Amino acid sequence: MSPTAEVARPATQAAPGLRSLRPGFRPGEWVERESVFSWLMLTPPLLFLVAFLGYPFVYGVYLSFFERQVASAAHFVGMRNFANLWADPVFWQAAGNTVKFTVASCALKMVGGLGMALVMNQNFRLKSLTRALLLLPFIVPTVLSTVAWQWILDPGMGLFNRLLVVSGLATTGPSWLGNPTLAMVSIIIVNTWRGLPFFGISILSGLQTIPMELHESATIDGAGTWARFRHVTLPLLLPVIFIVTTFSIIFTFFDFQLVYVLTGGGPANSTHLMATYAYALSMGSGQMGLGSAAALAMVPVLGLVLVALTFYVRKD
Amino acid sequence: MVKPTRSKGTTSRRDFVKLAAAGAAGAAAGPWISRNAQAKPAQITLMRESCYVKEFDEHFQKVMMPAYEKETGIKINYEIQAAGGAAVARAIAIAESKAPVDLCWPQQEWLFREALLDVSDIAEAVGKQQGGWYEEIKRLSHWEGKWKSVPFGNIGQVMAYRRDWFDEAGVTKFPDNWDEFYEAGVKLKAKGHPYGMSMGHGWADNNSWLLPLLWSYGAEIVAKDGKTIHLDSAESARAVDYARKLYKGACIEDCVGWGDPANNKAFLTSQISCTNNASSILLSAKRDLPEMGKVTDEALNPKGPKGRFHSLVPVTHCIYSHTPDPQATKDFLSWMMAPKQVSAWYASGFMYFAPFLHAYDKSPEWNKEPRFKPFQQALETGKLWLWPAPADRRAGQVINTWIVADMFSKACLGASTKTVIADAMKGLKQIYGQA
Repeated sequence: MSPTAEVARPATQAAPGLRSLRPGFRPGEWVERESVFSWLMLTPPLLFLVAFLGYPFVYGVYLSFFERQVASAAHFVGMRNFANLWADPVFWQAAGNTVKFTVASCALKMVGGLGMALVMNQNFRLKSLTRALLLLPFIVPTVLSTVAWQWILDPGMGLFNRLLVVSGLATTGPSWLGNPTLAMVSIIIVNTWRGLPFFGISILSGLQTIPMELHESATIDGAGTWARFRHVTLPLLLPVIFIVTTFSIIFTFFDFQLVYVLTGGGPANSTHLMATYAYALSMGSGQMGLGSAAALAMVPVLGLVLVALTFYVRKD
Repeated sequence: MVKPTRSKGTTSRRDFVKLAAAGAAGAAAGPWISRNAQAKPAQITLMRESCYVKEFDEHFQKVMMPAYEKETGIKINYEIQAAGGAAVARAIAIAESKAPVDLCWPQQEWLFREALLDVSDIAEAVGKQQGGWYEEIKRLSHWEGKWKSVPFGNIGQVMAYRRDWFDEAGVTKFPDNWDEFYEAGVKLKAKGHPYGMSMGHGWADNNSWLLPLLWSYGAEIVAKDGKTIHLDSAESARAVDYARKLYKGACIEDCVGWGDPANNKAFLTSQISCTNNASSILLSAKRDLPEMGKVTDEALNPKGPKGRFHSLVPVTHCIYSHTPDPQATKDFLSWMMAPKQVSAWYASGFMYFAPFLHAYDKSPEWNKEPRFKPFQQALETGKLWLWPAPADRRAGQVINTWIVADMFSKACLGASTKTVIADAMKGLKQIYGQA
């Protein structure tokens, strides 16, 4: 056989050699096996989660049982950090604020998002452009939009108070960020504004999966607009609304940027959330152990939400 | 075959090859050894907060950085953080993670002194060369027998006010004491020009008048021993009562929730007639609003029964212990603080950072704008946060969890003096380990 003929030998002729080394092994088939393929797909995100979520979480749990100052050795203190937090009125104020903030914001976003989705589901001119514009609050970086809100809520120059004065509803507008109640209202408004598109677009996608035939049948049966919404649209949307609300509760509960930029948790801690307080303790004043304990205190709530979500998904 | 014999002293071919190889290796390694004996880092990274005076940052970036690179071949990497507290968190993160940053000016080094290098040689040399350091700043930088930082300057905090509006209200001289300050404020508020005294979750503009107010009434938060908590006193109660009265009678409602940038914005949009601030208001007004710039003035804090006080907002330079080349970083810090460099740097910022070095007390730079004089004078009565207690980590924790600012703001929002002091005491006891 000439050298050329040797080179030109088809690959299939070389394969028997390999087969003789590992009889019966076909990499293609091995990868195709469901158990192997699924682990291959799972491994990269799993490694990512372990590195960037698992490790910090475990380290946070570890720190919460230690007194650990910046650049210093840790001393085991058992449950003392948690006991300190238990006796700390600011922590309880922050916990209460977080619950109020989360419940009010998520309720407003859910109702508003549903309304937004129903409107967006209609046919009107410039529908696509309007849908795109409605996403803006979600797209603009939070810090940027919050700085804009600082101006909007300014007592003298802000849009809100100017509108109140110009329309004759008030001679001077209220102090949106100076009054503790209004400061809480303000952060709820800004969070709702930012989170509405997430609800609106998600619910809209759910709306578009409802078959028209169901509406037509209900109409033939004599159902009006409200009855069709009540008995057709809403029940079919509930799974989407549930999932979106659950995610929103998680995001809102852990919100940090908005409050950090808008009020810093003031006045007099009236807008301090658990996330901003944990940050103030750990990164602001270098009490890593106490700050970790404060951050960890949020986990049981998150756990409850996740359990509810898991049950709901399994039920379906 | 007879083997050739080799006489003593002769070199075989094999030996020659060995010698030649060793020689070549030595020749090749020579320059490498020499290079490494004089190795220097390719770059040094400095992290600091951006300055409200942009000319100050520009001077560093456009003049000092290229000059140092030209002189030494070492590139300076300037990691700049937004003003308003972010740099403190970043400095802590660097200390924890040993991120590749060599030196910083953190404002709150008391939180992580353990991660800093001893810079006594530089601090002592700079002090000796330039008139000596102000005493109060030594309580921050000189810790347990070593200098852990080299002081730079104080972001002076005094009263910025609208002279034209004070004149209109019949107050032709800035109030000398807190009572006069309140009376003037009532008149100004009646004319639609309230004060805006920050009490929210900021870092400087709240503490810069609330702490001097406490001190001037004879109150102190923690005693000099750093153990005894003294806040619960009649003097503190009088200061809290005064703040409440001032807020209700003379201030804009919003100021109780203000962070550091808010009073600048309110002053420059003519919503308030007076606030406690650094020179950034005057500088911005002169630059961007010339008419307002002409009628904006600066004055020392009013005095109380126990005297006049100011709060220092000190800036220092620290070197992280994890810097790979301590000597190179120290050389850079020495170079920055040498009179030739540092005097031009101070001047570039219009003395926004009032030098802690006595050599600059009578610097002609202060005469370029007479309204800046109070910032220099404030150094004489300036105290570190939580004075007279040691400027340690616990003092930082008190400030960074806003225990003092919240005590005043809660009182202004309606809580009783007794309640707000009791709340603050709880926080202090937790931090000072007496809970």
